[in-house]
Amino acid sequence: MTALLEIQQVVKSFGGVRAVDGAAFDVAAGSITALIGPNGAGKSTLFNCVAGSLRPDAGRIVFAGRRIDRLPTHRIARAGLVRTFQSARALARMTVLDNLLLASIGHPGERLSGLLLRPRAARAHERALRERARELLDLVGLQAHADAYAGTLSGGQRKLLDLARVLMLEPTLVLLDEPMAGVSPRLRVELLDHILALRRERGITFLIIEHDLDFVMQAAEKIVVMNEGRVIAQGDPASVQGDQAVVDAYLGTAAVHEQPAPA
Amino acid sequence: MSTLASAGFWEFVGVVAGIYTILALGIQLQFGFAGLLNFGQVAFMAIGAYTMAILVVKEGWSTWLAAPLGVAAAAVGGLVLGLPTLRLRSDYFAIVTIAFSEIVRYVAMNEDALTGGSQGTIALGPVGQAAQYNGQWAQFQHRMQAWLGLPSADATMLVIVWLAALALLASAWAVLRTPWGRVLRSIREDEDAAASLGKNAFAYKLQALALGAALAGVAGLFYAWQFSYFSPDDFAPLLTFFAWMIVLLGGLGRVFAVPVGAVVFGFIFAGTRFLGFAPFSWFASDQRAYLRLIIIGLVILALVVLRPQGLLGKREEMVLE
Amino acid sequence: MFSQLVVNGLVTGSVYAIAAVGVSLVYGILRLVNFAYGDMMAFGALVAYGCNGPLRQSMVVAALAGMAATALLALALDVALWKPLRARRAGFMSLFLASIGLALVLRQALLLAAGPQPEAYRVDPYRVFVIGSVRLSEAQTIAVATAAAAIVVVALFLARTTAGRVLRAMADDRTLAAVAGIDVARATRLAWAISGLLAGLAGVLAGLVEYSFTPDFGFQLLLPVFAAVVLGGIGSAYGALAGGLALGLAEELSTWSGFAGGVDPVYKPVVAFVLLALALLLRPQGLFGRARVA
Repeated sequence: MTALLEIQQVVKSFGGVRAVDGAAFDVAAGSITALIGPNGAGKSTLFNCVAGSLRPDAGRIVFAGRRIDRLPTHRIARAGLVRTFQSARALARMTVLDNLLLASIGHPGERLSGLLLRPRAARAHERALRERARELLDLVGLQAHADAYAGTLSGGQRKLLDLARVLMLEPTLVLLDEPMAGVSPRLRVELLDHILALRRERGITFLIIEHDLDFVMQAAEKIVVMNEGRVIAQGDPASVQGDQAVVDAYLGTAAVHEQPAPA
Repeated sequence: MSTLASAGFWEFVGVVAGIYTILALGIQLQFGFAGLLNFGQVAFMAIGAYTMAILVVKEGWSTWLAAPLGVAAAAVGGLVLGLPTLRLRSDYFAIVTIAFSEIVRYVAMNEDALTGGSQGTIALGPVGQAAQYNGQWAQFQHRMQAWLGLPSADATMLVIVWLAALALLASAWAVLRTPWGRVLRSIREDEDAAASLGKNAFAYKLQALALGAALAGVAGLFYAWQFSYFSPDDFAPLLTFFAWMIVLLGGLGRVFAVPVGAVVFGFIFAGTRFLGFAPFSWFASDQRAYLRLIIIGLVILALVVLRPQGLLGKREEMVLE
Repeated sequence: MFSQLVVNGLVTGSVYAIAAVGVSLVYGILRLVNFAYGDMMAFGALVAYGCNGPLRQSMVVAALAGMAATALLALALDVALWKPLRARRAGFMSLFLASIGLALVLRQALLLAAGPQPEAYRVDPYRVFVIGSVRLSEAQTIAVATAAAAIVVVALFLARTTAGRVLRAMADDRTLAAVAGIDVARATRLAWAISGLLAGLAGVLAGLVEYSFTPDFGFQLLLPVFAAVVLGGIGSAYGALAGGLALGLAEELSTWSGFAGGVDPVYKPVVAFVLLALALLLRPQGLFGRARVA
C-alpha cells in the first residue's frame, strides 16, 4: 500500500531556530493518523508546510505521488489536500451558507470568463452546490443558522462550520488542526463520530494534530510523536504509549492521562 | 454669475457628481469588495482620457473607436500596476500606487510630443493649431439634446453621464452577486482562509484592480468630453482623494452607496461656495476654496473616527471586524 | 561633473535622511504610516520663513522656531486625532485614511494661511564655495552641515541615551517592551516630539536647498521620503538614515552622462519612485530591516 502523504526530511527554520528539524513519516490512504507532541514540537509548523502556507527550507512533501512542497496553498487545496484551522477562521462578515458555497472547485461562475461564456453551466453548478451545502449544514446541525453571519456563531459551531466547509471540497486528505481545542465534551463526541463516519463512508484520510490524548487513543490507527522538530516515535497507539522516548518527552506536562507501564 | 438657485450651476455639479460616481465605483470595487488600497486611481482616469484624445487627434480615429480603447488602456494600466505589486503588504501597496500615479502624471507632463506636455491637449495637434478631440462627441451631444428636448448642453451631459453611471452601477451590483463576487468578498475578508478553499487570491485581486481601473478610464472619458480640454494638472492626487471620500461617505461594500456619497459630496463641495456667513465671510473668495477643502478634510476625519461605516454601511459589519 | 553630482546627492540625501528617521520613529512605535508628514515638513518650513522673512530673524533662530513649532503640532495632533483613534482600537485602514485626511487639511490650511505663492529664505544665492571641482551654494552648505550635525545627534541619541534605546526597543517589539515596564504613553509622546523636530528641520533644509518653495511642497517630498524609509528598512531608524542618503545619491547620479546619457533631470523624482518599487519587490525588508511578517 503506497502512502497517500509522504513527509520526507522536512526542515523549516525561523531566524536560526529549527522549528522542524528533519521530520519524516507517512500517512496511509484511508487512515486516521494523529500527530502529537509537547508544545513547540513543530507540529503546527509542519502542518503549515504541508498545507502550503509555509515553504520548507529542505525536504520533500509528496501527496498522491505528486510533490507539493513548492506549491501555493490554493493549488494544494484544489489537488484534494485541505485543512481546518485551530481558530476555525470562519469568514465572519459572510453568511454561514456563503462560507460553504465558497468551498467549491471548478465553478464556472467563479471566473469572469465563465460568467460571460458559460452562464448556464454556472447556474447549474451553483444549484448543485447549494443542495450539497444544505446537506452538509444538516449533517453538522447548523441548518438553522444558514443565513446568519458566521461571526455570530459560537466557537464550537465555527469548528463545525470549518469542518463542513472543507468537506464541501470533497477532499482526499484532511488536515485537522486541534479540532477539539475549546470544544465542549458533548461536541467532542459529535466531532469524533463525524470523523469516523467520513472515513468509513467517503474514504477520507485524516491527519490530526491534537492534545486530547483520550481522543487520539480512541480515533487514531497510527500516532506520530514529534519533539523538538523531529519524529521521535511512530506506530499504533499501544506501541507509542509504551515508548520510553515518548514518556520522556512528555514528562513535566499535564497532557498524559495515565502513566504507561514500562515496556 | 451663478446663484444658489441657478439651474445651470447645479446641472454642472450633477455632471461632476456623475463622473465621480463612476470613478468612486472603481474604488468601491477595489477596496470595498477586494480590500485593495489603491491611491493612484486618478492615473487610470488620465490614461483613459489621454488615450482617447491622442487617438482622435493624432491618429484621426473615430471617437467611437478611441473611447473603448481608452477604457481598455486604463484596464491594461491596472494590470501593469498590479502584476508586480499585488503581492505586497497593504501599506506598501498603497505607497506604490501613489508612486505609479505620480509617474503617470510626470510622463504626461514631460513627454510633450506624446501628450502635449504641461499645456495639455490643446498642444496635441500641429504647432499653431489648438487641437480638438471633441468633434464627434459634440455632434452626438447635440443630437441627444434635440432628441430629448433638453434646454442645454450641460443638462444633456447630465442625462448621458448618469445613464452611463446607472448602467455601470447595475452591472457592478449584478457581478458582485455572482459566485465571482462571493470569492472576491471572501478574499477581502480573510485571504488565507480563501486560499485554503482553493481560491487564487492574486488573480481575483488583479481582476478587481483592472476592472476598477477601467471604470476610472470611463470617468476620464466623460471628464474629457465635459471640459473639452485637459492637462496633466487636472489629474492631481486630490481627485483620488475625493473619490475615496465619496466611498467612505456612502459606505463601504455597497454599490448603490456610491452615488449617494457622490451627490452628498457634490452638495457639500458646491454648496459651500454660497455660504456667505462666518467663518466664510472672513475670507476673500479665492481663499474660501482652501477653507472648503479644509472642511471636507475635517468631515472625512470625523467620518473615520466617528462613523467608519459611512451613511449607508452596515453597522454590524463594522462591529464584527 | 561626477563629484558635483555626488555632493548634490549628499545634500538632497541628508534632507531625506532626517525626514526618514522622523517617519520611521513614529512607524516603529505606532505602526502608523504618516501621510501628513510631508505637510508637517512644509509647516516647519513656513514657520521658519515667517521668522526669517517678515520677522527678520536669522536662519538659525528661524530654523529652531520651525522645529519647535512642528514638534508642538505633532504632539497636538496626537492628542486631537491619534489618541482618540487608538482609544477606539482603530484598525490600520482607519489610521491610514485618517492620515491622508489630515494631510489634506494641513496642506489647505497652510495654503490658506500663507497663500499659494512661492517663498524663499534670506540667503545669498550668489555666494558660492568652491572645493576642487565642486561648487556649493551658501544654502547647500548650511543644509549639509546642519544635516550632518543632526544625523550625528540623532544617531548618538538612539544609541547612547536611555530614551533612545527605549524607542528602539519599542520599534523592535512593542508588546514585549510594554511587558518590560516601559511607559508606552510617554514613549509615544517622545516619538511624536522627535518626529516633529525632525520634520521641522527637514522642511527648513528642504526649503533652503530648493531656493524657493510653495506651501504645498510637502507632497513632493513625501514620496521620496517614504522611498527612503522603505529602502532602509521600515521601522529601522539607522536604515532610514542610510536609505535617505542612498536615495539622494541615486537620484542625482542617475542624471550622470556616464550612465548611457543619463536620466533627464526632470525625471529625478521618477527615479525615486522606481527605486521604491524595486526595493519593495526585490527586498521588501530594505537594507537593514528584518524579513519578518508584518
